[in-house]
Amino acid sequence: MNRGIAYYILGRFLQSLMVLWIIVTLLFLLFRLAPSNPLASYIDTTFTKEQEAALLARFGLDKPLGEQYIIYLLNLARFELGDTFSYSGKSVLDILSADLPNTIYLTLSSLLVAYAVGVLGGIAMAALRGSLFERVGTTFTLMTRAAPTFWVGMLLLSFFAFQWKLLPSAGIGPAVVRYRWETEWDKLMSPVFWRHMILPTFTLALYLHGLPLLLMRSNMLEVLDQDYVTMSRLAGYSEWRVMIHTAARNAMLPVLTALTLGIGYSIGGNVVIENVFSWPGLGRTLVRAVQQADYPLAQGAFFLIALIIVFMNFIADILYSLLDPRVGASAQAQVS
Amino acid sequence: MSILSIRDLKVDYATQEGTVQAVDGVSLDVDEGQQVGLIGESGCGKTTLLKAIVQVLPRNGRITAGKIMFKGIDMLQLSKAEMRQLRWREIATIPQASMDSLNPVQRVGSQLMKLLRVRGGYDKRAARRRAADLFDLVGLDTERLMHYPHEFSGGMKQRAVIAMALALEPSLLIADEPVTALDVIVQHQILEVLRELEQELNLTVMLITHDISVVAQVCDSVAVMYAGRIVEQAAAQPFFHAPAHPYSLGLQQAFPNLARPRDELVSIEGYPPDLREPPSGCRFAERCPFVQDSCHDIDPRLELVGDNRLAACLRSGEMETLRLQAEDPALWQQVEVAQYFVDQPLPPAPSPKHQGGGDALAGLIEPTASPLESAEEAAYGGISKSPPNALGGDLEGGRVVAPLLEMRDVSKRFKIGGGLAGLLRGDQEQTVYAVNNISFTLRRGESLGLAGESGCGKSTTGKLLVKLLDASDGEILFDGADLAGMEQDDLLNFRRRSQLMFQNPFEALNPRFTLYRSLTEPLIIHGWKDEEARLQRVIETLDRVNLRPAEVFLDKYPHQLSGGQLQRVVLARALVLHPDFLVADEPVSMLDVSVRAGILNTTRRLARELGLATVYISHDLSLLQYTCDRIAIMYLGEIVEIGPSSEVINNPQHPYTKALIAAVPVPDPTIENPPLRIQEGIPRPTEQFIGCPFAQRCPDVMEACIDIRPPAITDEYSHMAQCHLYGQHRDSPKLKPGAEVTSGNTR
Amino acid sequence: MQQEAMVREGPPGKTTAQFRQGSALRQLWETNLEVFQRDKMALFGLCIFAVFALVALLAPLIAPNDPLTPLKNADGDWIKDALPYWLAEPGEDEAEGYTNEFFLGTTNIGRDIFSQLIHGSRSALLVGFSAAAAVAVIGTIVGLLAGYYGGWVDTVLMRAADVAFGIPFIPFIIVIAAFFDPSIWNVVLAMAVLLWRDTGRVIRSQVLVIKEQAFVSAARVSGASDLRIIFVYIAPSILPLSFLYGSFAIAWAILTEASVSFLGFSDPNTISWGFMLQDAFLSLALTRGAFYWIIPPGLCIMLTVMAGFFIGRGYEEVLFPRLRRM
Repeated sequence: MNRGIAYYILGRFLQSLMVLWIIVTLLFLLFRLAPSNPLASYIDTTFTKEQEAALLARFGLDKPLGEQYIIYLLNLARFELGDTFSYSGKSVLDILSADLPNTIYLTLSSLLVAYAVGVLGGIAMAALRGSLFERVGTTFTLMTRAAPTFWVGMLLLSFFAFQWKLLPSAGIGPAVVRYRWETEWDKLMSPVFWRHMILPTFTLALYLHGLPLLLMRSNMLEVLDQDYVTMSRLAGYSEWRVMIHTAARNAMLPVLTALTLGIGYSIGGNVVIENVFSWPGLGRTLVRAVQQADYPLAQGAFFLIALIIVFMNFIADILYSLLDPRVGASAQAQVS
Repeated sequence: MSILSIRDLKVDYATQEGTVQAVDGVSLDVDEGQQVGLIGESGCGKTTLLKAIVQVLPRNGRITAGKIMFKGIDMLQLSKAEMRQLRWREIATIPQASMDSLNPVQRVGSQLMKLLRVRGGYDKRAARRRAADLFDLVGLDTERLMHYPHEFSGGMKQRAVIAMALALEPSLLIADEPVTALDVIVQHQILEVLRELEQELNLTVMLITHDISVVAQVCDSVAVMYAGRIVEQAAAQPFFHAPAHPYSLGLQQAFPNLARPRDELVSIEGYPPDLREPPSGCRFAERCPFVQDSCHDIDPRLELVGDNRLAACLRSGEMETLRLQAEDPALWQQVEVAQYFVDQPLPPAPSPKHQGGGDALAGLIEPTASPLESAEEAAYGGISKSPPNALGGDLEGGRVVAPLLEMRDVSKRFKIGGGLAGLLRGDQEQTVYAVNNISFTLRRGESLGLAGESGCGKSTTGKLLVKLLDASDGEILFDGADLAGMEQDDLLNFRRRSQLMFQNPFEALNPRFTLYRSLTEPLIIHGWKDEEARLQRVIETLDRVNLRPAEVFLDKYPHQLSGGQLQRVVLARALVLHPDFLVADEPVSMLDVSVRAGILNTTRRLARELGLATVYISHDLSLLQYTCDRIAIMYLGEIVEIGPSSEVINNPQHPYTKALIAAVPVPDPTIENPPLRIQEGIPRPTEQFIGCPFAQRCPDVMEACIDIRPPAITDEYSHMAQCHLYGQHRDSPKLKPGAEVTSGNTR
Repeated sequence: MQQEAMVREGPPGKTTAQFRQGSALRQLWETNLEVFQRDKMALFGLCIFAVFALVALLAPLIAPNDPLTPLKNADGDWIKDALPYWLAEPGEDEAEGYTNEFFLGTTNIGRDIFSQLIHGSRSALLVGFSAAAAVAVIGTIVGLLAGYYGGWVDTVLMRAADVAFGIPFIPFIIVIAAFFDPSIWNVVLAMAVLLWRDTGRVIRSQVLVIKEQAFVSAARVSGASDLRIIFVYIAPSILPLSFLYGSFAIAWAILTEASVSFLGFSDPNTISWGFMLQDAFLSLALTRGAFYWIIPPGLCIMLTVMAGFFIGRGYEEVLFPRLRRM
């Protein structure tokens, strides 16, 4: 790795930190300056003034706003997200760390399926451009992108879970089974868990495959127009080699970046599907926390999702600069 | 024994507007060990011919008739797989734009080795060894095998592509425009490589180009293509000395030639015929100055016209006399006007300019100088002939004439990267010293050429002159007023008086505007409220630049015009406000050779008529010699030599100027260029030099050059060169070029 | 070559009418016309929007019942879970005491599903078009300013875009919905605040390209002012791109609104298709296989979203023909 790339990574890292700082500041302002009292749902009318004050003090809400902000930043930096309102006695971190793995499993499995199908489908469509296969395929993909995921999930549920009773309808496993999972590893080894994952994974993959497919297709068409592809043809390489080794390899780069970005955005975007399938992940917790006015939890979940997105955006930039030798040197190339 | 033999080949393209006969009955033989140059302007079918030979025609292209025999094999009968095997092993092709032919995300060495292993059957070790040998062969450092294409310069990429083409030892190498878009010095070196390889490997080469001087350098035989046909075929020597087809004659005289400068270049006016409905007679008839009635009816065949040479012209018997007549450029212009008269009635146009030169055809045209021109001559007193002062003010007729434009120690720096944003993006701050302390003056009616390799700062200078950029240091005075301080009305007034002509005519006009709209914009900006007056001025200007009848062009969009026509519109837009000063940045580099001269002639004529001061920016010294009174040579943002054109070209002082001149290909195979003594590769302009900026590449480098600023030495012809060779340090000890001068002279 | 021929053959004289026109608005109109003339799918998308817009306008006239009022039969009982008349066995409805007037049946508390579907088009189109307009306008302005002026303006705006890219979209809307009263305008607000980021970036890069083109330099050399360059030279080339992103934004807005309503963060007094699906989901329509309730709202969402896609792709094809070239 040369110095230019090291500088690039450092710069990107600082930039990501700054973005994160702005986001948490906005989050702070949103939660503290909101029209409703953050403890409104917690404090009921029977509370005395003293009780109320004590409660405010417990959550640090009696201090001046500036001081609250400093404390808030320091806490975030140490990953202390405070206590929940609604799950008595549990800290926000407890709840979220139980949710996060489930969200990650769902995200990764669905993205894996989606990108495998999408990349291959994109190559096939570029190779068969103008054919009936391409027209039907593109229309189908557009339809999957236009259909709301929760609706597709509902339809799949009603067939596979309720009509044909092939697959479980909700959650990650019955309580009796969950009870026996002591570690994440146990969970991952359990066929019950995987059976529960099939429907949500499939639903998400159906939606997510459109982006890599359309991206791969247009990248392929663009790359196939490039002079170095013409050169491969002139050099007498077989058509297969031209398509796969030269064209697809180059067309893959932006798709890999999209995948990295996709991990971040899916973790934030799975909210709806997690609610359809009662999947105990970050998204469902966020929705519940907001419904129950559990501000520390909502704020914590939001922060965690934003953190993951910013981090994956950072990784995507770095990945691209490593995969494409031109990017790392872009600073140099600007001189002319 | 011919290795490639093409017989009556016809290739069609199916387009929405009909079938285009891109190649129409071409027969061509390439003998073993021969180097054939295929010349023609764009659209004549030369690239299609190449694609047909290796059978990579686009989807809508089809070979309809003919035969292509390669080493006795009928290539059109081969299966796809057999054809594929033939490619690169037998026939290697260097495609057009081969600069982009390397995969950007793979190391160049791996691409070469992949080729050797997949197509050549080499094992890993043998492939590595062969790859290194090949890099050696084309003059690339073997360390470069590990580099990515973006780390290569243009010339290095071209060498790498040549290495790839030679990898499998093909019997025939076809190169499509191998040096187009390269800087002269690089171009020279690539041609050198090709020439050496031809001799070393006894290569059979077919070279496709629009540039006849390239052919003169590396080919021993020539074929000229026009409108899908071959119109002349001959050995190189006789071809360059006595072309046997009027089109070849025109082409030859359309090229500026440093060795044999002419007063007026020939412009082959008009356009090639529409190949959807080719004319029944001679295809060149419409543009031919020697056309007879029979030319329109009889389609001339490619026939033997002499010792081993073929031409397709009905008047090939009279070539001797025609050649003499063709010397006169006015003859070729006559065609243009005559042709428009045939097409539609015209208002009486100013008669074509006739400036000196051959009187052989005195009977054909009337050599009348227009009144305007004589007035011009009187007013500016034959400025182009008197040796002007290079740097200072001008003494003329005993009184000092203030210059129109004066550059005083002007510098331009750019900062890239850096700042908070740059830090966040991960860019390091760098300063680019684009222009460093340049000074010159320009008087009304005078023309100055700025030359140098790309990256030397000549375009930046052009932008400074028209205030598209502001100088970092120094003063630019226009009619005595500093450009830096101009605002509001002064600025608007300056904008009216100075104009810029762009390199790429296809981008210089708003694609969404009709030509009328584009031309009327400057008038609107400058407060011409009366629509009729604007229209009047636009028509008058279009007429001036020879777009006639002007009314036809008003409602056209840029995409409906050819490059040559567009460049005339660009010129018209620059002149519509009647400016005093014009900067022309590479005005013809994007255009076909046959129309280049037309643009240059028109620009030159109008500059004289309107008393314009003109700055031409070009990498092409022969062009500047043709158009400019004075030439300035720039290197890394500095003017290293400036003086009257003929002085700079014929008596160059600075080693860099000498190198540039040596690198210019001459369209004559008998003229041997002086050897080029420098290597390609302008250093990055991100450093300031203590000594001479050229020291790193200079073949005559001395110790003084490293840390002492070279003096500006001016001779009695106002010819200035900035070099230690002529100053007090001229006896400083010599250094070995390159090696010892790598660093130490930067700040 | 062909064009040259055209020019030469062009009849001189007939030139007065055409060349004097060519205002920016006219060009824009022509580009839009070209999109729908060339791309039949884009035209189809436009028709879909037209039909739904008509339905939305005339909703009270078309819908047979009020979408929110539970319906009672003649005996005063709630008409719960009535089947569509075309699904019910003959006589079944009458035996239950129902009239056979429900094209899509009723919900579990006796609301008319068909009427809800008709009224749902109102919120979908309202959200879709207002959010798209907000996204396109903000994105275009940001892109123009950042691209044309560069420097610190560019830095500030593009860092803001980075921040917007770092904020998770759906969670953001949920949080917004928690603090403001439930309303479809939350979606519009959230989209306006966040989704200008893509449009802004793309338009900025396009402005950077156009700004560097020779014809813009030519205008500057002729003395054109910044405003003239932005509005006469750059904006007309940019606006089709805004339309492109606007069309896609319509689609995203409709989808997002549906998702948010489905999660229960919409105004319970405004009928939307997402709300209908949430209603169906929570009242266990799935287990009963009440497809007449589940499928129609989803189809409507899909159709309107696809209409946005089709139009967007139509613009893409005209603006970037390379992508689709055969």
